[in-house]
Amino acid sequence: MSAGDIKLKVESVSLAFGGVQALADVSFEVRDAEILAIIGPNGAGKTCLLNCISGFYKPQKGEIYYENRKITGLAPYKIASSGIARTFQNIQLYSGMTTVDNLMAARHIQIKPFLLSSAIYFGPAHRREIQHRRAVEDIIDFLELESIRKKVVGMLPYGQRKKVDLGRALALESEMLLLDEPMAGMNYEEKEDMARYILDIFDLRKIPIVLVEHDMSVVMDISDRIAVLDFGRKIAEGTPEEIKVNPAVISAYLGDSAF
Amino acid sequence: MDIDTIPKLLYENYCKHPDKVAQREKRFGIWNEFTWRDYFEHVKYFSLGLLALGLRRGDKISIIGENKPEWFRAEVAAQAIGGVVVGIYTDAGPQEAMYLITHSDSRVVVAHDQEQVDKILQIKEQVPLVEKTIYWDPRGLWNYTEPKLMSYDEVLALGRKYEAEHPGIFEEELQKGKGNDLAVISYTSGTTGLPKGAMVSHRQLIELAKLGRDLDDWTEKDEYVSFVPPAWITEQCIGITGCILSRMKASFAESPEMIQENIREIGASVLFYGPRNWESVVRAVKAKMTDAHPFKRFLYNLFLPVGYKIGDIRLSNKQPNTLWRFVYFVAYWALLRQLRDKLGLLKVRTAYTAGSAISPDILRFFHAMGVSLKNMYGASEIGTVSTHTYDDIRPETAGFPLEGIAVKISDESEILVKSTTLFDGYYKDEEETRKKLRDGWYHTGDFGHIDKSGHVIVMDRMDDLRSLASGQKFSPQYTEIRLRFSPYIKEAIVVGGEEREYVTAIINIELANVGRWAERKRISYTTFSDLSQKEQVLELIAEEVMRVNRTLPEWARVKKFASLNKELDADEAEMTRTRKLRRTFVEEKYSDLIQALYSDVSELPMESEVVYRDGRRAKIKTGIRINTVETG
Repeated sequence: MSAGDIKLKVESVSLAFGGVQALADVSFEVRDAEILAIIGPNGAGKTCLLNCISGFYKPQKGEIYYENRKITGLAPYKIASSGIARTFQNIQLYSGMTTVDNLMAARHIQIKPFLLSSAIYFGPAHRREIQHRRAVEDIIDFLELESIRKKVVGMLPYGQRKKVDLGRALALESEMLLLDEPMAGMNYEEKEDMARYILDIFDLRKIPIVLVEHDMSVVMDISDRIAVLDFGRKIAEGTPEEIKVNPAVISAYLGDSAF
Repeated sequence: MDIDTIPKLLYENYCKHPDKVAQREKRFGIWNEFTWRDYFEHVKYFSLGLLALGLRRGDKISIIGENKPEWFRAEVAAQAIGGVVVGIYTDAGPQEAMYLITHSDSRVVVAHDQEQVDKILQIKEQVPLVEKTIYWDPRGLWNYTEPKLMSYDEVLALGRKYEAEHPGIFEEELQKGKGNDLAVISYTSGTTGLPKGAMVSHRQLIELAKLGRDLDDWTEKDEYVSFVPPAWITEQCIGITGCILSRMKASFAESPEMIQENIREIGASVLFYGPRNWESVVRAVKAKMTDAHPFKRFLYNLFLPVGYKIGDIRLSNKQPNTLWRFVYFVAYWALLRQLRDKLGLLKVRTAYTAGSAISPDILRFFHAMGVSLKNMYGASEIGTVSTHTYDDIRPETAGFPLEGIAVKISDESEILVKSTTLFDGYYKDEEETRKKLRDGWYHTGDFGHIDKSGHVIVMDRMDDLRSLASGQKFSPQYTEIRLRFSPYIKEAIVVGGEEREYVTAIINIELANVGRWAERKRISYTTFSDLSQKEQVLELIAEEVMRVNRTLPEWARVKKFASLNKELDADEAEMTRTRKLRRTFVEEKYSDLIQALYSDVSELPMESEVVYRDGRRAKIKTGIRINTVETG
């Protein structure tokens, strides 16, 4: 993988909840066109890190730069509108709404309404609606959500909801995707599908994707680089081949007795 | 000019009705319409594109993909410049696809999407004749660098350029086509041995489509939903040729899973499903009803018998009396109409089934709802042989021979057919052609007879008839179909033979329904294999077997059965792609089990191999119980 421009830069970020050090001096970079995976055992601080990037947590130390702009401590909605979209480990969708409506809701960032035209609806507002629906249908086609288009999200099986969650992140037309455990709780086939979708998104949109994942095998197959966290510290970073043989990683995952 | 080829028919529609809707496709959540002009122009430029790529008169192209307008266009486009089309089923494995592509000498493959393209690329070393693979769904293929790969749109662009350089060439090529030119090579699904390619000409397809149109009045007002694979001769007759001939509108669903909903949106008036599809509709209704609200279940149980009653009266060609008509009126509005609507069958005027035999019980179910589903009997080699007329539908027969088609029964009770729609022989297989075509009669290999009123009755394949040690003959298929009508039985193989005293069966349970039944009975289970051997499940299946046994003559009754611990699967070559059983193969594979069925053991330890889609293999170890059913 060529170096490429640096899209996101995390500089010695630290975060503690009382006495618990969730993140300690973590630094890494995300380049312009790459899939970066962040892996680590349970409680390693993976989700905390994502939450720092997307603005849900404010790190006590360190800075985060997105396209050379400091975004540390900005409100989540501001970070979202600057082009970073994310999915959640415990799916955050409007469970009472249909798939289409959930995706349309995600388009609101793109919509700049004017009171008057919106009140009249016909004309500009109508055209806008059609344009956004078109974009949403593109995503439905892409993720093969046709059969659940009009189904209420709360009634869907878990794997499907994960897909809708990903669709919602895509609907934001973001320039960077943060995926928090997109394959958690899925069976082998669903995981394979999801991996394919992630690769397809990457191929089509050419945007950097940061993937937090538990399942090592999937990560090894689809990511360009991997960063490994353990107890809030980054213990390794490199290509899948390098990570596979890295003794620190093996001991973090399998315990010291593996040696 | 003589309008004797399919592309010429399309050209005529384009000239006379350019702005009328020809096809619809649901894409991005809306139904997009294509007029005859659109259809024709796509065909024209695609065919010029093929010409530019070097395809010549008589060359073959293979098409593999789901039912989409592009499939149809690619076919007619190839035919417009004298090409011959080979359809391949979408779920064919790389090896199957390779056989068809190689055997037919295809020079171009048109593939649907990444899945199909990957299949072709995987075997590209073995199919050196293929110069181009053209895909129409670019998803996931953005970064493929294979030089033989080309998109549908690129071919169209190539065609436009070619026309600018050679004006008028398309019309010239179109006129060169003659009715007796080959249009399609239709590979038979091959329940026995390798697939054979039946050569079918434009004339035959058009004649067949005319027969269908005249019998069932297909008109431009009709809505047809294309669902059965175009690789099958039936869809060639109805969806491609029939729709162009009668200007019936063809609609294409978003995806195969969406078919039910899409049929409902379109309000299909002419519909063609394979028997398995009709069966699965019935099965889905029955399964849904077990979970439905008690009130709904009450209505269902109250009014469905009324539907059956009226359906039966009509099927026996009588008119119900006033009282029954009134009761039916109530049943229709309280239940049957809603049921039809939910299934998307509200506007269906003509519904067909063909392929393998369908259970009369399934047919009755649809007639109870007022959907006049009828049987069609045919084969790749002859197209349609016989079908029912509206006023004379009988569940147990395959209807009257169509006009101009002669049917007779040989001394061995084999059905023989003679007609002008007969195929031109098997591609590159003189010997097989001679075997099947003798003195102008096509030997169908089907066992059957013609009844007093002239209906053709197809019982079974000649090769599949069995006799017992006592010499009495029975038809395994006949029993299997009736077993399969049970919501709990997905597949059944009925066994017997000259060296055997009685009939036995190997049964595949229907996981979804038996699973739900087990949940209701609070029977816990882990896997298919576990569930299939549960005591209570075996009792349930035994009851179903006994129910079928009651309709059979005593010697043909199933005396012992075993519930198989895995599902029969086309990936393991146990079934064909159209989901017909490959009996000889299955009987060989499970010979131990069959032996056990004819001995005194009560359980057979078993190790079976499963092949996953991606080619990996694994072994399953279990015991299979042998169950005896009372046949008295």
